[in-house]
Amino acid sequence: MGAGACLLHADKVDFNTQVKPIINRKCISCHGGVRAKGGFSLLFKEEAFAPTESGKPAIIPGDPDHSEMIKRLTAKDPEERMPFKHEPLSAEEINILREWVKEGAPWGQHWAYIPVAAPAVPDNTDSWIKNNIDHYILQRLQKEHLQPEALADKPTLLRRVSLDLIGMYPSDNLAQQYLHSTDPHAYDVLVDSLLATPQFGEKWASMWLDLARYADTKGYERDDARNIWKYRDWLIKAFNADMPYNQFLTEQIAGDLLPDPTDADYIATAFHRNTMTNDEGGTDNEEFRTAAVLDRVNTTWEALMGTTFACVQCHSHPYDPFHHEEYYKFMAYFNDTRDEDSQADYPLLRDFNDSSRTELKTVTDWVRTQAGDARARSVNLLIKTWEPSINSLTADHFINGELNDTKWLAFRQNGSARLKAVDLQDKDELIYRYTNLSKGGTWLIHLDSVKGSVIATVKASATKDWTIEKIALPPVAGVHDLYLTYTNPALKKPDQNGILYDWFCFTHQFPGKGSPDYTAMYNRYWKLLTLNVAATPVMMDNPSDMHRASNVFERGNWLVKGEVVTPAVPASLSACMPRDAPANRLGLAMWMTNPKNPLVSRTMVNRLWEQLFGSGLVETLEDLGTQGSPPTHRELLDYLAYTFMVTDQWSVKKLLREIVTSATYQEDAKVSPASLKGDPFDKLYSRGARVRLSAEQLRDQALCISQKMSPEMYGPSVFPYQPKGIWLSPWNGAQWVMSQGQEQYRRALYTYWKRTASYPSMLTFDATSREVCTARRIRTNTPLQALVTLNDSAYLDLAHQFALRMESLQPGNPSAQIATGYKLMLFKPIAPEKLQVLLQLYQQALGDFKAHPEKVAGILGIDSTTASPTAAARTAVTKTTAAKTTTAPPSADEAALTVVANALLNLDEIVTKN
Amino acid sequence: MTQQELHNQRLLKEAEMRTLGYYSRRHFLRESAMGLGGLALAAMMGCHSRPKTTPIVFDPAHPLEPKLPPFPGKAKSVIYLHMAGAPSQLELFDYKPELMKMDGQDCPPSLLAGKRFAFIRGVPKMLGPQAKFAQYGDSRAWVSEHLPHFSTIVDEVSFLKAVTTDQFNHAPAQLLVHTGSPRLGRPSMGSWVTYGLGTENQNLPGFVVLTSGGKNPDAGKSVWGSGFLPSVYQGVQCRSEGDPVLFLKDPNGMDRDLRKASIDAINQVNAQEYADVNDPEILSRISQYEMAYRMQISVPEVMNIADEPQYIHDMYGSNPSKGSLANNILLARKLVEKGVRFVQIFDWGWDSHGTDASLAIDVGFINKCRQVDKAMTALILDLKQRGLLDETLVVWGGEFGRTPMMENREGKQNPFKGRDHHTDAFSIWMAGGGIKKGHVHGETDEIGYSAVQGKVDTFDVQATILNQLGFDHTQFTYDFQGRPFRLTDVKGQVIKEVIA
Repeated sequence: MGAGACLLHADKVDFNTQVKPIINRKCISCHGGVRAKGGFSLLFKEEAFAPTESGKPAIIPGDPDHSEMIKRLTAKDPEERMPFKHEPLSAEEINILREWVKEGAPWGQHWAYIPVAAPAVPDNTDSWIKNNIDHYILQRLQKEHLQPEALADKPTLLRRVSLDLIGMYPSDNLAQQYLHSTDPHAYDVLVDSLLATPQFGEKWASMWLDLARYADTKGYERDDARNIWKYRDWLIKAFNADMPYNQFLTEQIAGDLLPDPTDADYIATAFHRNTMTNDEGGTDNEEFRTAAVLDRVNTTWEALMGTTFACVQCHSHPYDPFHHEEYYKFMAYFNDTRDEDSQADYPLLRDFNDSSRTELKTVTDWVRTQAGDARARSVNLLIKTWEPSINSLTADHFINGELNDTKWLAFRQNGSARLKAVDLQDKDELIYRYTNLSKGGTWLIHLDSVKGSVIATVKASATKDWTIEKIALPPVAGVHDLYLTYTNPALKKPDQNGILYDWFCFTHQFPGKGSPDYTAMYNRYWKLLTLNVAATPVMMDNPSDMHRASNVFERGNWLVKGEVVTPAVPASLSACMPRDAPANRLGLAMWMTNPKNPLVSRTMVNRLWEQLFGSGLVETLEDLGTQGSPPTHRELLDYLAYTFMVTDQWSVKKLLREIVTSATYQEDAKVSPASLKGDPFDKLYSRGARVRLSAEQLRDQALCISQKMSPEMYGPSVFPYQPKGIWLSPWNGAQWVMSQGQEQYRRALYTYWKRTASYPSMLTFDATSREVCTARRIRTNTPLQALVTLNDSAYLDLAHQFALRMESLQPGNPSAQIATGYKLMLFKPIAPEKLQVLLQLYQQALGDFKAHPEKVAGILGIDSTTASPTAAARTAVTKTTAAKTTTAPPSADEAALTVVANALLNLDEIVTKN
Repeated sequence: MTQQELHNQRLLKEAEMRTLGYYSRRHFLRESAMGLGGLALAAMMGCHSRPKTTPIVFDPAHPLEPKLPPFPGKAKSVIYLHMAGAPSQLELFDYKPELMKMDGQDCPPSLLAGKRFAFIRGVPKMLGPQAKFAQYGDSRAWVSEHLPHFSTIVDEVSFLKAVTTDQFNHAPAQLLVHTGSPRLGRPSMGSWVTYGLGTENQNLPGFVVLTSGGKNPDAGKSVWGSGFLPSVYQGVQCRSEGDPVLFLKDPNGMDRDLRKASIDAINQVNAQEYADVNDPEILSRISQYEMAYRMQISVPEVMNIADEPQYIHDMYGSNPSKGSLANNILLARKLVEKGVRFVQIFDWGWDSHGTDASLAIDVGFINKCRQVDKAMTALILDLKQRGLLDETLVVWGGEFGRTPMMENREGKQNPFKGRDHHTDAFSIWMAGGGIKKGHVHGETDEIGYSAVQGKVDTFDVQATILNQLGFDHTQFTYDFQGRPFRLTDVKGQVIKEVIA
């Protein structure tokens, strides 16, 4: 079964668990990866057995006495003895290596690179066991002479499983049903109900946003807004619909390459458009396009395949079986896409409303009848995306012209520039987007040189803003460099810019000329094409005439291009590439979701486990490779990975149901002396998990308890209260303008995420800025977190609302109010000692507020006379809410109860999932 | 010892320490079952007798406990003054009379061949030094007329005059200076240092960031982010308006006594919870609430410069009623005096392109010089008079240099005199913390375009800073994504020439 069992049933040395660790620890830094001292490398099998500088292999299988590698370990001469200038290996280590060579030096494969096999579930009849998961857990515990805890009580389980599955509290109805049910299967019913709640999707989308490095801004210096929230909504819907995980990945990696992609398929591909775009003036667009592509490679591996691939960018992987050039072959999957670090984030999917969508269908259908399916598709794509177009930022050979702010081609008087290698074959129209900064002006298109023959002359019309126009082109065969020249007598100063271009689309004229409804249909087409609508960045490959070649970067330097490469996955994992897979992102997705791919399912299963237990079966979610943490329960991981892929056909909901209905998940979190001693970090699951809530869970919990949470789902991100002076972005006047009314109380995942200045209270609780993918948040415990939940006006506001709720449920009885409040939070009665402490706090606060009535308005956030910015903000918070559930003037009681509510929201029991 | 061995040893040590930690805290709780007063909590917070020579260990319960560096360092704390936008070395320290002779001429093609610039296009004109220079002090260091105060203390500092970088845009270049990588995701220098050394004063953040100039630096908060280190090591931005630290102030209507009562109540309930559940993490939470309470007092105290005597304000040019770079520099001294490990100052507005008056080398730049000159001079003198200069390393610089050519954005004449971003030469100075006094290292060619001698890069500066704190930068690592990472990546040489 496990590594331990392996050693038991055979006296043979195991490469993975015994040999490889010694190699990684003692040998690889000189004999592997970048360095191969003496021509000897232990990184790859073929290297290890190849002749070294001496001309002979260092390992002779079966013959340790003549294997230089073994001889050197015990050499007398310090110049000879290995590890060179380091402590010698221990006798035991030497023995292992010697035996291994003697046994023929069998090269093993790291467990994570071996396909997941159908598992054999251990047999055990203990009454504690609820499902297969528990067999694995119990077997290990018994081996360590430990006992699992009994199941936690109903109130604890209710809060635990709700926070885990939907990230917030259950509806009152659901809670009461479960707590009062006598059905032995009440817990299973609860789990099914939670899985069916729409809030389920929000919770799991919020997990995925870290992996997708989702943000509402583009990052880098300017960090301007980006409109990409439809991707977040796509995630919510996908999780709620329990979209099979293989489809979920395929749509995100290659939705645009699916046959007849829907808008939703395109939106899914925004996964990899969450890379950053650099709008800083003076930046090289190709450099940051490349940075985005590298990020896509690294994210694909780290987030979806639990592998750190980034090191392969510069050299072969020091510990895992990936060669340097394989990085670039893999990169080639992502390198031939349309995006070019443009300011607008092209390519975009333009966001049509229902009537425009109907209109689009009408136009597309009409084109199909006139000119066939291919033309219909290309017209449809052009309307939806303005693609394929040439971005003006790719222009060069400037004279009296430049890229304005390194973003758009701009001409001054007598300006010219080149558009490189444009395919004009069969094209008869140019559609272009531009803005005219002056009056008039004329521009020409020349073939092959500035003085070349003119194929178009255009009088520039005046524009108010960016404008789309078109001109007819004469028939020209083949591919040409095009030179644009520009003159304008209205330009008086030599340094004055006349015209700015955004993009050029060389295409075909709208078909059907001569047809009776041509004019009407053409007008509808043009109206849709030029409609001013929001748009979402999506993935799209270059058409063949705009193909971008991929190269190896020497030592990882993007400016030093090596050999040309084509898309391929690393050889060590290529066995699961389906034979009919195309050499593009769709093929890549087919490879990833092939059940023989050893990494994808294990990575996801491990991640879901981490979400529920606070730590993965492999702690390093980002690295299942030889340098990651070893799995605590490898067979369980494989059992879950197999069940997920095969038995449950990639259903995330089924997998989650299996985990949360296990006895392991339902254990009491109490720490018994035996458990603390034998399992101090709960790695063996001798007790239930007890972990601090995530930034999002904390906010959502407070919103639930105070009953302020807006039920609204989806839509653009919102701006809840945040202190002044957080943004201050250079070159960008963007301001945090607080949302009004209900919008302030949306779930945490809808909070506007600005990369260079993310929402501060969530950052304090280990949320990240999402500049790059975060495969795992590392939980910390700091005093700054206490300050957030104690003092943040957003939390104070919710404490006040919570106090009002307690008051309305138990009017006039402070003790009952506090007891009720506690029960609302934890579903169980408060211990008398705890109540006593909180009641004392209440009394002290009440005394204080009665003695100083002027403080009442302050704590309730309705004192607009106080000059402090915090008070003003809270006043703003309160004013915009429907907080006035009571018409009575604010009282000392209400203030004192607010102080207690604030304390309740800070209790360890509340900040933690028990 | 190899990296890997070191790492494994640390892991073992960490496991051992954590287990010990749990036991000692459990033991403590039994001993003080009568109540969790501040005294006992202080014992958990860092005053207990843990050996101080342990290798760097991330202990979630005492993440900022002071630790000794691997070898005795000269400096205990760092004040890093970053002039965001990149000040021109040619108008401050790098005197180039030859460049004056070329003023207004077309740039020779040899300087342009194979070079990439952020904004210069085509053939720009050369721009002579826009300031008068003289030599000062025993060290005869060149300083321009824009820094009259600073010129009086040149014998306290070492100049690096041939610093280079490979990033010519602000955000990546700032990231390179502070995190060792032009891309996002690596920990900043201050995070590394607080991770490695902890901090002396547990009632203040260990790594404080102060910004001025009305904007955050171009690279955003990532320049003080903790990257892959635990987030507890990220810089805490202290602000001159609103709460000095976010969420520090008690809500209106809640005075200190009530806040104390409320934290006591929270901790008492938590202690009862601990008695039920036995989870050591609860003890850690109790101590964090105690510390939060203490920070609420100690941070506003240290951030309040109003109590400083007038002569100190005169010295720095600070003014308590209005946030400024001078105020921040004075605050840096106060913070270091109170045991803060790393103070990072960013002042925005040094990007002298010549695109408008505020960004002109002959207008806005001079104003920026006036804002920093008096205060940075006062900082050195003030640290010295308090006996703190020897143990405080002060570093001053930008993220790159400026071109000897006049910027011609989009190939056109800019409205004001300005210089473009330049990677091949810029100046940094360092003082205190075991740095040589009155020394110049490195030299550029006769027009200040390229380093010709004593060339160093931003990794070398980082290596030197770590060295002064007692770290070998090649050994100071953190394991992430399956390999040990370090601030200086695979680069960096300590600049021995500037070490006293």
